[in-house]
Amino acid sequence: MKEALETPPCAAPASASRRNFLRGVPVVTAAAVAVPTPAIASTAKHQWAMLIDVRKCIGCQACTVSCIQENAVPEGSFRTVVSTYSVKLTDSAQPAGTYVLPRLCNHCDNPPCIPVCPVSATYKREDGIVAVDGDRCVGCAYCVQACPYDARFINHDTGKADKCTFCAHRVDAGLLPACVETCVGGARIFGDISDPEGELARRLKETQPQLKVLKPELDTAPRVFYIGLDERFTGKVEGQGTLWKPRSLPHA
Amino acid sequence: MNPNIVETINVAREVAWLPWAVQYFFLIGLSYGAYLLSLPGVVFRRPGWAGISRLALLGALVCGLAAPVALLADLHQPGRFWHFYAYFTPTSWMSWGAFFIPVYLGGLLTYAWLAFRPDLARHAQSGGKLSGLANVLAYGGHDSRGALKAAALLAFVGAALVALYTGAEVAVVQARPLWNTPLLPLQFFVTAFAGAVGLALLFNRFSVRDQAANRRMAGVLAATQVVALAVGALWLALGLSGVSPVHAQALAEVGPSANWQFSAAWAVTATVLTLLLAWKWPGSGLLIGLLALHSAWMMRWSIFIGGQEVPKTGAGYYTYSLPLGPEGLMGIVGTAGLWVFLFVLITTLLPLDRLAAGDTDKAAA
Repeated sequence: MKEALETPPCAAPASASRRNFLRGVPVVTAAAVAVPTPAIASTAKHQWAMLIDVRKCIGCQACTVSCIQENAVPEGSFRTVVSTYSVKLTDSAQPAGTYVLPRLCNHCDNPPCIPVCPVSATYKREDGIVAVDGDRCVGCAYCVQACPYDARFINHDTGKADKCTFCAHRVDAGLLPACVETCVGGARIFGDISDPEGELARRLKETQPQLKVLKPELDTAPRVFYIGLDERFTGKVEGQGTLWKPRSLPHA
Repeated sequence: MNPNIVETINVAREVAWLPWAVQYFFLIGLSYGAYLLSLPGVVFRRPGWAGISRLALLGALVCGLAAPVALLADLHQPGRFWHFYAYFTPTSWMSWGAFFIPVYLGGLLTYAWLAFRPDLARHAQSGGKLSGLANVLAYGGHDSRGALKAAALLAFVGAALVALYTGAEVAVVQARPLWNTPLLPLQFFVTAFAGAVGLALLFNRFSVRDQAANRRMAGVLAATQVVALAVGALWLALGLSGVSPVHAQALAEVGPSANWQFSAAWAVTATVLTLLLAWKWPGSGLLIGLLALHSAWMMRWSIFIGGQEVPKTGAGYYTYSLPLGPEGLMGIVGTAGLWVFLFVLITTLLPLDRLAAGDTDKAAA
């Protein structure tokens, strides 16, 4: 994590912060066709990452829904979800509270999903996004097993491994990931970790003592950082499982 | 503080390695186990082993031919299997496996053909069913010892590589603590070999009912059960003592689950029962054979399907219910159907009784 923060900035990187993005929206909207100059250029100069401020998440699942809409995620599957827990303090009269934890692919710098892929269909882009080459994937699901974050699944519409791509198609076009754009509480901050002037790097630097990642003991070096992540939720949560299950589809 | 945590919303990830995968690991395990059982009689010509080894070689052949079909079916893009050969990835055990399987099957088919050539010629001469095909396959019906030993060696290398990769492929998955133990490949191997002995016992029971062969196999099976129990005890001791963190983590993951406690009790009971029957009542070939096969299959079902019921991040456990379609029950039934078809086809050319007769048959020839 520290290494990632200390990654030397590339030449004149553009910021992908929410604020800068909003600033660039009118330009992009008005001149999207005539002047294809995205607010965020698609080059390896960027190193994309995400910061999730759990304290700001209200568990509305707008990110979940927008991701499904944006990426045509099949019913019953999810690229991102806000895990929600009821936490009761047994030695207190205080009623149970709700804890929310947005989850998605961690776009690890040491991703366990990549070496196991038997056909090198899973790879890390130069900008740090872990992606799946859909033309090559054989749907063996080895990567699904290897991901320690349960972030991958087999897409039954395509028969291929599927996961969050940080909305790479949007990012490449200069837009923010759908989940970031729709986040009601502003809990998801997406940006270029190598841009010291960018909002993401600045926020990461400011909050570094509070920063956490999921399952740090696995040394996967996630690029999704959390503020306000309770220790009890960094790994497999010890608690009662949910009874809710997405509707099973009659797929093969 | 003493928090009670109840997960109210989360994703229940469905099983991604389907029952097809269980069938593959079961059949390929039986195949390499049965191949090993074929060596004493067919290659080394140990007295009293001829019938056992020839039946075992039949089992290796039938299971070895059916297994890759199950593997292919477990791919969600089966038509892209050639990608394994076009995009070799040395960091992936599965990628290596795609090359090991043809080595094993190539060696096994050649070995079996060389071992059964004289029998095919005999079948052709006897004018039995498909005798024309048997005549073509016999290709003269010579008994080529040198070539047979060379093919057996190739098959041995392939079998060792397949045993290695099937174990390692699962054991390296750090994300699943239940799988991520160094003992898992050994457990796969021991149960596979025991299952292969069970298969040979069934073949013997449904052919010549050779009691001497039955007793011999019962002895081997008893030994495998002792090893299985010892490895299981070592696994538990490593987990309970905390000497091995990976075993402790694996135990912690499934230990609290009533389902897993039941599965463990079932496995131990079945193994002890098989051991006692094989030891004290070696004539119970049918029962101990079925028990050994059941244990080999159940072990793989528990590891693969049960293992995928453990969430990596969420609370509790997922609940798997076997779908009735191709992604579930039909996968199991379909593989079994293929196995039966191959068995019928091969035993039409190489009748079970003739294979089981072993030395007697050779002497008659």
